[in-house]
Amino acid sequence: MPLVNYATREITCKIVYYGPGRSGKTTNLHYIFEQVPNDRKGKMVSLATQTDRTLFFDFLPLDLGSISGFSTRFQLYTVPGQVYYQATRKLVLQGADGVVFVADSQARQLEENIESMQDLHANLADHGMDVRTTPLVIQYNKQDLPKGLILGVDELEDALNFRDVPSFPADALHGLGVFETLRGISELVLRRLSAGSTAGAR
Amino acid sequence: MSSPFEGMLEMLTRQRGVVGCLIVGEDDGIIVDVNVQVGIDAPVIAALAAALYRRARLSSEAAGLATVNFLQLEAERGHLCMAGRDGLVIVTITEPKAQIGLIRGAMLQSVETLA
Amino acid sequence: MRARVAEPWVEVPLQRFVDDARVLFALLLHPSGQVLGQFGFTRAVDVMAACALGAAIHASASQLGRELDGKPFRELYHAGRHRQIFIAETPTIRGPLILLTAFDTESSLGLVQVFFRNFCDMLRTAVPPVDEQPPVFTGDLERDLNRSLAILFGRARPPLADRGPSHPSE
Repeated sequence: MPLVNYATREITCKIVYYGPGRSGKTTNLHYIFEQVPNDRKGKMVSLATQTDRTLFFDFLPLDLGSISGFSTRFQLYTVPGQVYYQATRKLVLQGADGVVFVADSQARQLEENIESMQDLHANLADHGMDVRTTPLVIQYNKQDLPKGLILGVDELEDALNFRDVPSFPADALHGLGVFETLRGISELVLRRLSAGSTAGAR
Repeated sequence: MSSPFEGMLEMLTRQRGVVGCLIVGEDDGIIVDVNVQVGIDAPVIAALAAALYRRARLSSEAAGLATVNFLQLEAERGHLCMAGRDGLVIVTITEPKAQIGLIRGAMLQSVETLA
Repeated sequence: MRARVAEPWVEVPLQRFVDDARVLFALLLHPSGQVLGQFGFTRAVDVMAACALGAAIHASASQLGRELDGKPFRELYHAGRHRQIFIAETPTIRGPLILLTAFDTESSLGLVQVFFRNFCDMLRTAVPPVDEQPPVFTGDLERDLNRSLAILFGRARPPLADRGPSHPSE
């Protein structure tokens, strides 16, 4: 559950960017970090290898300002994508309020995407989180690559989006779809949080 | 495995009125070796006594009085005695009627072997 | 400086620990990295970064303990040149919480450990049962969210009241 401080009317939510290695999770965070004004973000913490592959996680705290009467903060995390960092992914996923699955649209990465999605489901289940109710959106990244190299959104939807969650085509390197993805997951997380409360909420 | 302080602790706890003796790191307040009666919370005594000794040593040095040889805390139900050297502190817990003079002598002798 | 808390029951134990152990910083956090209380930080975003790292260190040490010893390590101490950190887990009826604290020569590992035990006891009696009442949002959630994110991404200007220097609450 997101942390809610009723006295100061503050909400803090943890959002994890999940997906196979080199799918663009860290790129999403970098783009967000570059766009957001200094007074609304903290330092971007990256625990990475010498070759800039995520070793443990990337972390970016954001201050969204006031939303419906609550001062809202998001903690964005990425997980390391490589298969052998399974234990680390599980640790980072602990207590996540929402997950962005960043898929690599390249046709040759389809297997990795599917494996990573299965890994996500297994890890959520291990944490006792209900896969069906955990807020999740999918981002199909690298849609800017030549058509011959990538799968179309429809093909990716067939392969990955069996839960019919919101999905977004993206080119995270240039920022396309990054904002929409963040908005998508934010809305799901906050809606889930407010579920049950009707007074004043839509 | 026996500690190099075992003999020293045995000798000090044999003194009349001594209920426990500890060797403690002055900076971290962590027990190096201990010999205390059941019911004595050694980690708490170690941490607080080390902090007390350290403060006393720093106060003494700041006042230009040089090293603290011996520190004695007299309380309602006994005494806490401390002597230190090279980052280690010997802490002795005694009953009210303990012969502090003898204990002090034994502790000062022991502290010489701490180096 | 006083401890700042996300939940009121945390304040007294945390402040007492800070005062008794004479530490420089203290964070009480959930293993997911969410902060419940803090002392010593000035910016909320710095608190969040410290929590993320603290939770990660604790999770790694616990996992390492499981790998090596079959059960998680519960405490971790790291000595820096001038400052030292101590991270340990405290069980509560709300599940385990983590205390991360940094201290200098004004305190010591022994003192921190001793007062951590007191802190655990105080916390255990202070913690109320879980209350998962959802917050009542006022206004239009979707509109507010869109506006906040648009401002965040420089796609809209903040309303007049929000302009000027902003200091995330500590």
